[in-house]
Amino acid sequence: MSDYSMKDIEWAKINRDVLASLESPRKEFWIVLSVCIFLVLCGAAAEVYQYNEGLGTALMNKPHFWQLYISNFVFWIGMSHSGTLLSAILLLTHADWRKPIYRFAEAMTLFSILTAAIFPVIHLGRVWDMYWVLPYPNERGIWPNFRSPLLWDAAAITTYATSSILFLYVGMIPDLAICRDNAKGWRKKLYTALSIGWMGRASEWMAFRKTYVLLACFLVPLAVSVHSIVASDFAMSIMPDWHITSFPPYFVAGALYSGCAAIITLFVLLRYVFKFEDYMTTEIMDKTAKLTFAIAMVWNYLNLSEYASIWYSNDMFEKEVLLEKFFGPYHWVVWGMLLCALVAPFAMAFEKVRHNMWAMFWLSLVLQLGMWLERFQIVSPPLASNHEPWTWAVVWPGLIQLTITVASFGWFTMLFLIFCKVFPSVSMYEVKEMVFHRRKASSRTDMEDLDKVKDDMIKAEEGLS
Amino acid sequence: MALKRMLENWSDLRKRDYYEDEPYMWGMSIDLNKCTGCGSCVTACYAENNLPVVGKERCGSGHAMHWMRIERYWEEPEGETDIDIEQSDYPERGAHYTPMMCQQCNHAPCEPVCPVAATYHTPDGLNAQVYNRCVGSRYCGNNCPYKVRYFNFFDFSKDIPAPLEMQLNPDLSVRSKGVMEKCTFCVQRIRSAKDKAEDAGHRDYIEDGAVKTACQQTCPTEAIVFGNLKDDDSKVKTLWAEHEVELNRHEQEKVEDARGYRVLEELNVEPSVMYLDRVRDTEA
Amino acid sequence: MRRRQKHFLFGVFDDFEKARDVVSELKVLDLKEKVIDNIELYSPIEHPEVEEILGTFHQPIQRFTFFGAITGAVCAFLLVAAAAQSMFTVQPQGGKPVIPLPMDIVITYEGTIMFGVYSTIVAFLIYSGLPRRLKKYYSQKVSEDQIGIEVQIDPTKSDKARAVLEKCGAVEIREVTQ
Repeated sequence: MSDYSMKDIEWAKINRDVLASLESPRKEFWIVLSVCIFLVLCGAAAEVYQYNEGLGTALMNKPHFWQLYISNFVFWIGMSHSGTLLSAILLLTHADWRKPIYRFAEAMTLFSILTAAIFPVIHLGRVWDMYWVLPYPNERGIWPNFRSPLLWDAAAITTYATSSILFLYVGMIPDLAICRDNAKGWRKKLYTALSIGWMGRASEWMAFRKTYVLLACFLVPLAVSVHSIVASDFAMSIMPDWHITSFPPYFVAGALYSGCAAIITLFVLLRYVFKFEDYMTTEIMDKTAKLTFAIAMVWNYLNLSEYASIWYSNDMFEKEVLLEKFFGPYHWVVWGMLLCALVAPFAMAFEKVRHNMWAMFWLSLVLQLGMWLERFQIVSPPLASNHEPWTWAVVWPGLIQLTITVASFGWFTMLFLIFCKVFPSVSMYEVKEMVFHRRKASSRTDMEDLDKVKDDMIKAEEGLS
Repeated sequence: MALKRMLENWSDLRKRDYYEDEPYMWGMSIDLNKCTGCGSCVTACYAENNLPVVGKERCGSGHAMHWMRIERYWEEPEGETDIDIEQSDYPERGAHYTPMMCQQCNHAPCEPVCPVAATYHTPDGLNAQVYNRCVGSRYCGNNCPYKVRYFNFFDFSKDIPAPLEMQLNPDLSVRSKGVMEKCTFCVQRIRSAKDKAEDAGHRDYIEDGAVKTACQQTCPTEAIVFGNLKDDDSKVKTLWAEHEVELNRHEQEKVEDARGYRVLEELNVEPSVMYLDRVRDTEA
Repeated sequence: MRRRQKHFLFGVFDDFEKARDVVSELKVLDLKEKVIDNIELYSPIEHPEVEEILGTFHQPIQRFTFFGAITGAVCAFLLVAAAAQSMFTVQPQGGKPVIPLPMDIVITYEGTIMFGVYSTIVAFLIYSGLPRRLKKYYSQKVSEDQIGIEVQIDPTKSDKARAVLEKCGAVEIREVTQ
């Protein structure tokens, strides 16, 4: 039996509540939005300066060829993971508590990818020649080098970005139709175009459900592959402490971890701002927190086993880097990461914390900080103490890199704010389905019927019978 | 027809030692016993290869562009310290110089990671960098265990004061902002030597000593020897054989009097530069 | 050729059970008089039971997905193989395999998923009949909480169908000829 305690909500109220979140932004919305736009403009200015003067202005040097841009890239790609991946996994496992939270999680996925995709561009030495990475026929007969993990990255991210957009969009079509039926003015035109004439006919619903499940089947392995490939950027090199076999699963676990933390942050904010208490219940938060805790433990295990395998391998170079990580110039980054991402999640073992929205909010921010530090300590300390002792140097990211990093958070928030006001951030039709099946379940009392209802629900979600 | 030729090419290209039949395989030997750390090789490289002089500040921030650098390590002399030497004007501090430049690895880690194939292996054993193709992802720089790849973090060519652009070497390009570059074993000299050999009618043979790299030419103690490793009579090949350093070996066996080693060869990157260990007599 | 005019009845119900009754009654009517061309059900959420009352839908979307994915795999593999072969003709790679299989697998994997997703979307559009214009008689109530039944019927016999709809408690009935 499902144990969420959602009240029996009128369907019209669901429509009203969610559509109300689209209307008339408050003053605070405009203030936050303009702050975000300001940050984006600062980042753009920094990028223009760096573009004209050269990457040296970002204070990267030899041996720190990669720095904050790459760690930010990994961070944002990681954050994009939980949205689509969790939504797809929970869909396939018929976890119906996913329904009220998956829409904004998927939107988060999309916007994190859009943020992450900026970083390789900024990072390149010759941005203007970036299209050379694409495999297009040319008169020189030169093609990109598919041996390079960077090309796999390009392929994986293109696939992931387009598939995530399609998954988000397809799942949103019925809701866009609801918006269309209730909107006026430019919104009417927009929703009419986007809902492509969805009328909720039975044939549409059947095709829709099948498509949705099929897409979910693709997205689960895709999301896993994307972060494994990002991990390959490091694992395929011969740098000590980058060349680690366990990096792909470690990255995937880390991605899910920081993504879940981001979901919790946005969960609390949306619930508070849009007054979605009826949909985003404490029970759903409880389940999300438990999931985050489980993933955090997987990540912990992989992290510690990585240290152990380096220690016991007794490889001269790798051990050096490991010791430098803990006791060298970057030690506070590493200890900070361990404190925020390894120790802090144990707070979620307590039910009191899991049921306290604001405690979860601050905890999720701490976890994300830990994961951001984790990405920095993956990229920088191994470069600082590489194979060649003569080149050892400690470099901290400069003003330009920090500005662009802050701007990336502004960019993400800006996109997310606009999304919240243009598209419904809670899936109306799926919440209705949830209410419908629950109502049916509560109207019958004996266990046989409940089993049948459960079967119906499973069938409803499979749609492939 | 085309298919048949393709299949033929395949079996040809997939051979274990693809470059076996090539007449050239450039290699180097650096005798650390002879190296005094004077840095004239570095200067010669700057002059020959149009390297930008970045100035004190950028040098300090790690943006120097020296393709060849003198690494200085301190090795405390073994045994008891000799009071006489200690108190003399030139006490033994165990300074140890290593001229370090691109090792032209045969299994170069920088090559496969380039997204646009801007770096590749030439048939004569050089690790070539195509400046025009480079987009500046800097993955190669990270993956180089010797950290001998240099990135144009700024548009250095802008900073050349007025008449000095006249002294740039016309045989090779001036690199722009955002491009990776590194030691080429003075490929422009190799090329012109090859042209001369072809004019003289012996395409597959360049006599030993006809190509000299800028660093070799300038080294006052002749610590650097450069030549063709495929030529059994060349000086560099003789030295390699004498010190029992071979390609396709992870670890050189240490024999009496054989001082040869390749830096970081346990990584199996197959560098083409042999170093001869410095031998020190602390008792004398 | 003159296009035959189509006549539609559109009834709105506030309960799925009522709609289910309507469909069965309409089917009885159809059995007697053979006047109904098509029945379609409009709903705000998915009701998997509709297949029991409207008959099964033939929507082989998974076949599109399957063949799309295979096409993607083949295309991606060929792209990488051809690019690698082409590179070898201009740039020797020092005895490395001409077609690097382990790398091919990565790109093939991504290509499979990419084409699989695209072809699934195409199949979705084909079998759901989207994009299309909204029908004139479409009621906004359907996207909220009510069920719509569309009956395509011989215009001369529409009264009988109307009676059935009314009998079963239709909240609203719209009639359109086009």
